[in-house]
Amino acid sequence: MKNKKEVGMTLIVKTITRLTVGLILLYGIYIVLHGHVSPGGGFAGGVIIALSFIHLMLAFGKEAALKKLSQAASSILESLGALMFLSIALLGFLGGYFFFNFFLHKGTPFALFSAGIIPLCNIAISLKVGAGLFAIFAVLILFKSR
Amino acid sequence: MIEYILCFILFCIGLYCVLRKRNIIKIVIGLGIVEYAVNLFFVLIGFRMHGRAPILAKDQTISNMVDPLPQALVLTSIVIGLAVTALIVAIAIRLYEKYGTFDITKIRRLRG
Repeated sequence: MKNKKEVGMTLIVKTITRLTVGLILLYGIYIVLHGHVSPGGGFAGGVIIALSFIHLMLAFGKEAALKKLSQAASSILESLGALMFLSIALLGFLGGYFFFNFFLHKGTPFALFSAGIIPLCNIAISLKVGAGLFAIFAVLILFKSR
Repeated sequence: MIEYILCFILFCIGLYCVLRKRNIIKIVIGLGIVEYAVNLFFVLIGFRMHGRAPILAKDQTISNMVDPLPQALVLTSIVIGLAVTALIVAIAIRLYEKYGTFDITKIRRLRG
């Protein structure tokens, strides 16, 4: 295999990536969790979460990123997001109909813990989108090097 | 009116890029520009002068919001565009593996 130094980009890019990648991931989680009170939501936050892992993969090479989140793990997370969204929708049958907001106390409007099942749906969508986008990118890279 | 004309010019730039360029990667970029032009056109249809984002806030009324329906359609369109772009890139990688080039004039061994 190649020399350890030649994997990935230069030292400048690696240092900046090491500083910023955690902040990008945290910003994605913030967008997801505040999806029901501010612009953003599950899709946008999921894309930002996936971009943090793609950033890691571009700077450090595919081994470093796939060690953090392997392709099988991202497939499992993607399926888990879809199943979580479906089970939230089906749990609405407890109250009578599909997508029923089954929380008794829905919280005050414009607070972080409010709006019933919408934050849970946002988390499910972000899992699906983030893991799916990362899986697409990882599959394209693995496919090329085969 | 000028914004629709600029939107159409952006669409024409993307169409020129798709029809005229020979590199597959440039064709993919041209398809992306066409898609963005159409999305921009949809969002501009729903625009209202001095409008706010269509989000429920404390002093929000219906009369000062922009139209949220084109934005919801564009969100779906962005997701579909992502899937189409991923598919095109996968086909381009496969073509590069098979022919060793991205030039579409050199990819002509279709039979066999």
